[in-house]
Amino acid sequence: MPSRSPYVHRPSRSPQDAAEWPARRVLVTNLRTIWGRAYPRVIGMMREPSWLFFEIMLPFLTTSAFVFVYRALAAPPEYVGFVVLGGAMTAFWLNVMWLMAAQLYWEKDQGNLELYFAAPISMMSVLLGMAIGGLLMSCFRAAVVLLVGTFLYGVVFSVDQWFLLLSVFFLTLAALYGLGMVLATLFLLWGREAWHLTQLLQEPVYFVSGLNFPVARLGVLGAAAISTIPLAVGLDAMRQLAFAGSPETAGALPPAVEALVLIAMAVFFIALARLLLGVIERMARQEGKLTMRGS
Amino acid sequence: MSPLPEVVRWSGGSDPHRTRRQEAAQAWLAFRTAAKLGFQIEANWADPLPFLVYAVIKPVFSALMLVVMLEIISGGAADPAFRAFIVIGSALWSFVVGGIAGFALSVLEDRERYRMLKYLYVSPNSMLTVLLGRGFWRLGIGGFGAAVTLVLGVVGLGVPFAIERIDWLLLALAMTLGLLSIIALGMLLAAVAMQTRQDSWQYPEAVAGAIFLVVGAVFPLAVLPSAVQAVGLLTPLTWWLEMVRRALFPDIVSAIGGPGSLYTELTGSAAPGSVEGMIVLLATTALVTIAALGTFRWSERRAKERGLFDLITGS
Repeated sequence: MPSRSPYVHRPSRSPQDAAEWPARRVLVTNLRTIWGRAYPRVIGMMREPSWLFFEIMLPFLTTSAFVFVYRALAAPPEYVGFVVLGGAMTAFWLNVMWLMAAQLYWEKDQGNLELYFAAPISMMSVLLGMAIGGLLMSCFRAAVVLLVGTFLYGVVFSVDQWFLLLSVFFLTLAALYGLGMVLATLFLLWGREAWHLTQLLQEPVYFVSGLNFPVARLGVLGAAAISTIPLAVGLDAMRQLAFAGSPETAGALPPAVEALVLIAMAVFFIALARLLLGVIERMARQEGKLTMRGS
Repeated sequence: MSPLPEVVRWSGGSDPHRTRRQEAAQAWLAFRTAAKLGFQIEANWADPLPFLVYAVIKPVFSALMLVVMLEIISGGAADPAFRAFIVIGSALWSFVVGGIAGFALSVLEDRERYRMLKYLYVSPNSMLTVLLGRGFWRLGIGGFGAAVTLVLGVVGLGVPFAIERIDWLLLALAMTLGLLSIIALGMLLAAVAMQTRQDSWQYPEAVAGAIFLVVGAVFPLAVLPSAVQAVGLLTPLTWWLEMVRRALFPDIVSAIGGPGSLYTELTGSAAPGSVEGMIVLLATTALVTIAALGTFRWSERRAKERGLFDLITGS
């Protein structure tokens, strides 16, 4: 049973419901929201070309450092490929953490969050807009790391199942962005420093996800990562599919099973995000405290 | 109308008649206040225990990742000398990440988040002093992370260590110059941050990651192409790491010299000596510091002319 809206004197679930908009108008408004939130990111990128150097070129050099670690250790060539693949996927993790999970907290600091809650739009559309805006940069960075890394370091991929590989990639993105939405609401609810929480999660997640080595080598820790972190399971599956037949790529689970795990994760995280976003919207409207700076 | 005294034009001072001593006292006060503020911003978001975990988690996991890579490739029979090389380099890198990030992030935070940069700029203090104070604790947190990682390396990962073999003089000199060069790099990044938009939060880490490639932090320079090795030899951090490693662990592998390295090819010696290393560290640090000061002043002037201190971006 819908509760009484603070804005109108009849039961309603949301501002859209209160305004009695038809479904088409709700859909169009949310599509506009997605574009509207993606717009400053896309335009911002074009207005500040320095990111091409700082966020494409330099992270590629960081990835290269790990390639040279393996070269110094005279590792089998597949490991260089693991690093390149991991380096490419890092772009998406960083995008999810910095430009999505931490973003609602920062929007609160900047005073935009209350505008989002007051507007007749879904918070998921706002977050999706952030994701799409940031995804352009991440895709570009990942592509550069993958292509230049492959060319420069002579990585040889051996793919037998292209469809499964692409499916795993897109499922990983779906699960990652679902997780990003969940974290965005959690960071806001905790009211702690989003910057520090994001930093706190970065290196341990790289480690337990097996960014530069097969996660199965971590034993129980790797298995725990596979069951909770989309990056870990996605990377493990992609590694097995991109270097098919190599003895070095023995994964924790077969890639098809990992694809199913990713589907489950995507559904779970997106459903949880929807639930949590509903909770914070209610808190913001009824208690009016969530959007206060410094709370 | 008489021109303003030199001290006012360059330090932003409010009193044209104050002495150098008063100026120094005011600079110290500004530094102390900024450092106190920096500490509160860094530390008051969590209770002491979570904060300590936060301070060490990044360097510890970075070192662990490299150690696991080493153990996987060696099949669990890694050379302890190389393990020590990796752990020490990885631990010391925590200083660099903290130090470089401190200054640039202070600019971004004060401009974009707290929106105080314009007020700080017009206050009667040097911008540089304020940023040094704000960045001080990030450097300190980096140092704490480095120390804990080193201790864990010695206790848990079998890094050979004997306190009586430490060359304290070399350690003190190398650390002083190394920290100076890290601060200089931080100033360069702060100069960049003054000119860029909000989303440059990731720039310091990206720069630190790129320098990581050329300084021999976790692998000897000899595995790099010669041109990249040359860049590494011109970077003070390469020499800082080499000298600190030598001071703490006298028998450790050299990152600079050795078979196939550009250094050995050019000089004919297997590894640089301590005196030679310190001289090069001093020279490269001086060069980087002068370049950083010049760039910072230029950036400050440009930001003032174009109103960038007042600019709020957002994406």
